[in-house]
Amino acid sequence: MLKIENLHAEIDGKPILKGLTLTVNAGEVHAIMGPNGAGKSTLGYVLGGRDAYEVTEGSVTFDGDDLLEMEPHERAAAGLFLGFQYPVEIPGISNVQFLREALNAQRKARGEAPLSGGDFLKLARSQADALGMDQEMLKRPVNVGFSGGEKKRNEMVQMGIIDPRLAILDETDSGLDIDALRIVGDGINRILRKPDKAVILITHYQRLLEYVQPDFVHVLADGRITRTGGPDLAVELEREGYGAVAA
Amino acid sequence: MNALTLPSRRAEAWRWADLDALEAARAAPRAGSANASAHFLPIEGPRLVFVDGVFDASASTPGVVVIETIDAATDHPLGNATSGTGWSLTLAREQAVTGIQIVHVGTGGESHVPGRIVLAADAVASIVETFVGAGWANRLTRIELGEGARLMRSVRIVQAGGFVSLREEAEIGKAASLVSVFLGAGGMGSRIDGTLRVTGDGGYAELGGALLTRGEQRQECAVTVRHEALHGSSNQTWRAVAADLSAASLAARVDVARGAQKTDGVQSLRGLLLDRTATVNLKPELEIFADDVKCAHGATVGELDKRAMFYLQSRGIPEARAKALMTRAFVADAIDRIGEDAVREAFAADAEAWLDAAL
Repeated sequence: MLKIENLHAEIDGKPILKGLTLTVNAGEVHAIMGPNGAGKSTLGYVLGGRDAYEVTEGSVTFDGDDLLEMEPHERAAAGLFLGFQYPVEIPGISNVQFLREALNAQRKARGEAPLSGGDFLKLARSQADALGMDQEMLKRPVNVGFSGGEKKRNEMVQMGIIDPRLAILDETDSGLDIDALRIVGDGINRILRKPDKAVILITHYQRLLEYVQPDFVHVLADGRITRTGGPDLAVELEREGYGAVAA
Repeated sequence: MNALTLPSRRAEAWRWADLDALEAARAAPRAGSANASAHFLPIEGPRLVFVDGVFDASASTPGVVVIETIDAATDHPLGNATSGTGWSLTLAREQAVTGIQIVHVGTGGESHVPGRIVLAADAVASIVETFVGAGWANRLTRIELGEGARLMRSVRIVQAGGFVSLREEAEIGKAASLVSVFLGAGGMGSRIDGTLRVTGDGGYAELGGALLTRGEQRQECAVTVRHEALHGSSNQTWRAVAADLSAASLAARVDVARGAQKTDGVQSLRGLLLDRTATVNLKPELEIFADDVKCAHGATVGELDKRAMFYLQSRGIPEARAKALMTRAFVADAIDRIGEDAVREAFAADAEAWLDAAL
């Protein structure tokens, strides 16, 4: 599904990714762990298409298409979802308006008919219920005044509504208490644990991986993947620290 | 009207004014006609049409609104040109008339129309004025609100070209309320010029809106709210959005007279540059001669938040649409203050149409 080969990327002339290679197949969950500054969030932004990041070398294909040639909204329409570490607050645009615009823009790009207002509301309410988010929060401006946990839960509601094929979730576990972590973990499994979908979980800690069992765990250090293993690698990292394992 | 003397840009109050556009609109020959009925909103109430400043009785159902001669009686350099036949609304105590619509159609040249609104104690009115077409439309509106009277005034300036100059003069009595919202979302130049006096205790004055400019267009407002009584409050919420080589200018002033204690005045002037070649001028001013007042003003000019733009795009919204959504959200503060749903939706649709064309 996703094939990253020898990816180099920089921001403001500073190299961050230095030859990252990764293949993600349908049905797989990949966890990417690593110390601060290793390039985990940069990987998410580069795959999402944020313009401040410049790819200097390497390639990324998504279902055989050149992902790096696509605009950010085209990547979303192709089925890629980027869950943000720090979701942005947008005053003046309600969650409902934003999500309906987003979903129908993606449907239009894929040649599908737009969802009616009624059908969209049903979908939005069911996803909010499934993730334990108050229905009233759908009417509020995007992320404005939300706590850290509410923002992350809102990201998961968005993911449930948009129903992507590949989700890159950047530290979705940060800011969540134990109950919220379980709800979000269950949400990821419900939405994305399917034979035709895949997940890249970017995380510092092993705790989310107790709820979302990864097929592969990768250690990202100094802009490249230095080690790959199964779920046990996350436990080892938690116990030994990045210094000992990633070196 | 050749004797009309236009103000000089050397005067501080007129330094951003696009008087060249005004002169050009004034000189444009009249041509064609417009279907005014297409510009009425789907609300019940009196309807009036002025074509090139002349009342069109056949297209109007004025109801309580009277067509009569009005003496402008103002020293405003543009407003004083409007003496003559205009429209007048006078409501008796506790009388209520809402949904009054006035459509001004211009086909070219200049037109001058005075308007007068007098509401007695506890009377209620709402008026929507729409400017379409071309030419120079010059209007004066004088407003007197008696004790407890309430007026909601919404003005859509959506002329395709030309120039619209509006002079607003209001006197707001005890516990009376005036809420005025303007939207400049056409291809014309504009000048909104207002002096609102809060003369009764507990009076409320609100005057604000949004100016959207593109191309080489210039729009501006210059408004003063003067508090002369106790416990008065006022709000001036203005948003300016400028694209291309255009300029949008906002000068808003609050004067608090000696003795006007417990005044609460708020000014929020914010500008958004869609291109770095565009200009937004903001000039908030306060002059306070009382010592127990609360007056706040804020003025900021910025660009669209790139992080928010990427957030919207990452969810599948194309760049132009993301810009339009964020810009619409930016002006929402100013135009969402309109009370009537149909009017508010019309203003939002005008803003959307402008954004679709500009982005």
